[in-house]
Amino acid sequence: MIKAPGLAAALCAVALASAAARADGETVAVFTKNQTNPYFQSVRLGADDAARQLGAKTQHYIPTKPDSIPEQLSQVEDVIVKKPSAIVFTPVDYKALVPGVEKINAAGIPVVNITDRSAGGKFVAFVGADDYSLGKSTGQALLKALNGTGNVVILEGVKGAITNTDRTRGFNDAIKEFPNIKLLASQPGNYQRLQALQVMENLMQSHPKIDGVLAANDAMATGAIEALEAANRKALVIGINGTKEAVDVIKSGKLLATGDYNGFLQGCLGVMTAVRQLRGLPVKAEVMLTPTVIDKSNYQPYDVPVEQRKCPSYEAATKG
Amino acid sequence: MSGATTLADETRPGASQDLIAAGGRIAVVVLIGIALSLVSQSFLTANNLLNVLRQASLTFFMASGLTLVILTAKIDLSVGANVGLSACLAAAAIKATGSPALGVLVAIGTGSLIGLANGLCVQALRIPSFIATYGMLWVLQGFTYYYMGGETIHGFPPGFRALGSGYAFGIPIPVYLMVVFLVIGGFFTRRTTWGQEIYAIGANPEAARLSGIPINRRILLVFILSGGMAGLASLIFLARLNSAEGDIGETLTLPTIAAVLIGGTSLFGGVGTVFGTFIGALILTLILNGLNLLAINANWQPLVTGLMILLAVFIDMKVRARSEVG
Repeated sequence: MIKAPGLAAALCAVALASAAARADGETVAVFTKNQTNPYFQSVRLGADDAARQLGAKTQHYIPTKPDSIPEQLSQVEDVIVKKPSAIVFTPVDYKALVPGVEKINAAGIPVVNITDRSAGGKFVAFVGADDYSLGKSTGQALLKALNGTGNVVILEGVKGAITNTDRTRGFNDAIKEFPNIKLLASQPGNYQRLQALQVMENLMQSHPKIDGVLAANDAMATGAIEALEAANRKALVIGINGTKEAVDVIKSGKLLATGDYNGFLQGCLGVMTAVRQLRGLPVKAEVMLTPTVIDKSNYQPYDVPVEQRKCPSYEAATKG
Repeated sequence: MSGATTLADETRPGASQDLIAAGGRIAVVVLIGIALSLVSQSFLTANNLLNVLRQASLTFFMASGLTLVILTAKIDLSVGANVGLSACLAAAAIKATGSPALGVLVAIGTGSLIGLANGLCVQALRIPSFIATYGMLWVLQGFTYYYMGGETIHGFPPGFRALGSGYAFGIPIPVYLMVVFLVIGGFFTRRTTWGQEIYAIGANPEAARLSGIPINRRILLVFILSGGMAGLASLIFLARLNSAEGDIGETLTLPTIAAVLIGGTSLFGGVGTVFGTFIGALILTLILNGLNLLAINANWQPLVTGLMILLAVFIDMKVRARSEVG
């Protein structure tokens, strides 16, 4: 088997195809947090592409008020009435949505958890990227580019958001590895472009020399870049999320790197796992995607509109 | 015409009270400034003060239009969502044609049309302004999300970006614009018949109606102006951030309303000034500036912000009470 991965893949493909022929047209309800964050747009596009490849259908449930707990809870109640074949679920809040997950469990609908790990409930599998190592490896990329010396600032996301806690912890641990790096300030930009711009403008007032900026998402990173440019100052900047905008800014040389959270792939794997479970194919109970640091050397695969990306095979995406 | 003169005469004692109020608010800003300069060496520098003014300008543009609406005892909750949609449409227009002038037209046009729609909902359909503009907020946000589809539009011509990040004679362009609109706003509300009528409508709508003020048209006007100013703010936003995405308006509405109210305008109408709103925007900006300069831990920032706002309004009330007694 190991010597003939091609054969194995072909066998799998045949198995998948025959399974697909047997059980076509499942409906997968996909829950994401909001319509505004490009990250969840990639999740939905990944989910749609996986469904297309597998001959299944997706139905999207997105709170109209971004990240609204009551709205997602009521959407969970709606979806139980509609009885989809399976559910792919990102809780808007990892604790508050546990009762919702329990209702889905009680209704006997298989559910795959993606992106933010729910604090409770039963899931077929969890698919996610580890924010801590994402923060750490992207942070390391910046500190290495500074040759391990200089003054840096951190732009934090929303206080209390689990992604922000983990990313910031990753940044701080990366900084600890470099004794000649001085952390000047760690201030909240709430994942918002405008606030990050203003915070950066303010920090430049009190710190005449800032060499590096570690931003907990791409919107804040580009906000910081605008502030630096307007003040005619130079610093290396990194962000997280691997958005198309960040890739464009990397191409133009203004952004050093962005950590890829693999939203598209998470969407792919969420739907693939759900459909494989329905079709009786083996699934991995836990898929942690390894963080990719996108920079000038490897941005090409990310430089296509998300709409045109294709899901890899389940085997290729979950190995390693 | 003679009616207008009487109105102006009646409000003359009010004008001196406004001066006292303005004095009180400036005192609050000065106090915050002194406190900050004692704890941070970077605060009292020309660069930082200009930086604060530029940051305050965005809130001021939105809040100055909103002040007029609140003076008539109405509210416009759609200002943030208005900025979001106006910015995204203007961004798309500039991206498609490369013409900043078209972008300016689209932003201010979209903003004003939204204001007109708000005004019609309130005056023609008689929907209370809180509900009408709350509904409008969702309509606008829904349309923006749909239009943007989770994407970001970014990268505008340098000429356009100068509107937000450029300087003339060492002073940021948005600061000039802010001064211009501060003067226009002050003149419009205090020295024109229309402005006086807006106060009269807010203070006593029944008396305003009986004295022959065209209430419907004035209220339509304040909503259009509020929308138009949101459109203008969206341009500054675009030019400063060099980018537009669907959710930019979401976090802007509440601070804008807060700037108007901290500036001393009453939610019940008839009392307040555009200058007060400028001070309100300045106080909110100074608080963020101070938090960043002192690098206050992120955990404490919401708490400190809240306490500072309460303290600022308390000092303002004390100073005014004193001046009125003395």
